[in-house]
Amino acid sequence: MAQQDDLVSKVLVLDSDPKCLERIRAFCDANQLVGLKVQPDNVMAVLRSNVDLGGILLSENFDGRPHGGVQMATLMHAIRAELPIFLRREVRASLDDLAPSERKAICAAYTMDTMDTLRQPIADYIFSLSYPNALVRGISDITCAALSSQFKDLQVQIAPPYIVRDRLIYGEIFTLIPIESTWCRGYMMLQTEEIELLELVKADRTHISPDQGLDFRNLNGVLGEITNLVWGAFKNRYMGDSARISHMSQVPIVINHLHRYISFGSDNPQLCFRYTLNDSAQGDKLVMYQKFVFNLNWTPEDFSEDLTSVEDLVESGELDLF
Amino acid sequence: MAQILVVDDSSTVRNEVGEFLKSNGLDVAYAVDGRDGLAKLKADPAVKLVVCDVNMPNMDGLTMAEKVRSELNNSAVNIIMLTTENSPAMKERGKAAGVKGWIVKPFKGEAVLASFKKMVGV
Repeated sequence: MAQQDDLVSKVLVLDSDPKCLERIRAFCDANQLVGLKVQPDNVMAVLRSNVDLGGILLSENFDGRPHGGVQMATLMHAIRAELPIFLRREVRASLDDLAPSERKAICAAYTMDTMDTLRQPIADYIFSLSYPNALVRGISDITCAALSSQFKDLQVQIAPPYIVRDRLIYGEIFTLIPIESTWCRGYMMLQTEEIELLELVKADRTHISPDQGLDFRNLNGVLGEITNLVWGAFKNRYMGDSARISHMSQVPIVINHLHRYISFGSDNPQLCFRYTLNDSAQGDKLVMYQKFVFNLNWTPEDFSEDLTSVEDLVESGELDLF
Repeated sequence: MAQILVVDDSSTVRNEVGEFLKSNGLDVAYAVDGRDGLAKLKADPAVKLVVCDVNMPNMDGLTMAEKVRSELNNSAVNIIMLTTENSPAMKERGKAAGVKGWIVKPFKGEAVLASFKKMVGV
């Protein structure tokens, strides 16, 4: 199992100048970046796929066209606005001469002479959260242990951990579970491809039988249980007393895009409302479903309503000055 | 330099509040969460009014308000919370953090414009 103390991030390197590329490569090596080179014609296709990027290093004359890089930046920003773009310029490390719509797409400019100044924007935009090494190593240990327990006779390999800014989902099945403690709050996701998981189930490498794999809900369950194991171990190892003091149970939410399916881990019925918004002038309409799933606690005998007196009620939208 | 800083993780709310204030002649800057709001206030201490959500990622609005007073030492800027929260306990925490007022969403610009203008001194 590979261990890596320093987190890295993949950056797309879009630069046609061979001399600059050498220095960019050295800069990436020194700053925990893994550069990915892409042919100009493939850039958009790569950005639409899931490559787990942290950012883009782009030259202003990319693809041999003066100002071509800036035009490319606005196109890329339109489809992947969350990815920071760092622009290499020929003359000045400034964005002042660009139009506002072009400036919006780029977070920092540099020249080969001022490359060192790129460290701060990289730190601000990509490595803005500091993850303790012990946490990163611990997560790897916990998860490898969970995977080993849920899959039979398989070797678990782990790539060096990395940072992304993109918000794409990998595969068709994913689980989501809140992580809450006094020092951190957020979510953990596990994402995978249904077909690959199904193949392992059919090969009897999991704890469900091959014919159980014919029902995709059982596949969801495999991923759900791994999520549960990792969450439990994470809680025990890193949340300490805060977890014991306020024991709030959690179950993974499982989403399967292929089957347009979502599970909250219980068979409880869902309370649903359907809203239709009609534009009688244009004939357009919007249908929206609202669903309540009380999968973690449902005690209707304790139901109460906060009936504030009329005098105390401040109407929404009104300013209540203290 | 902006007169008003709108802090909300929802771009819809930032747009709604910001465009209304700008259409009424006010200069507006934006922040996407409490941490961003704190950084923007530090960079522009001339801001006179902050309109701020409570529930945001990275740093919530009440924590931001507390830090504006304690870490930035800025007791001059008016902070108004614009939030779905309406609990007395949360309002008390806001008061203790030096928050000047509370608006329960949705935002109704005409109801608050005069007060906002007064707070920025126009």
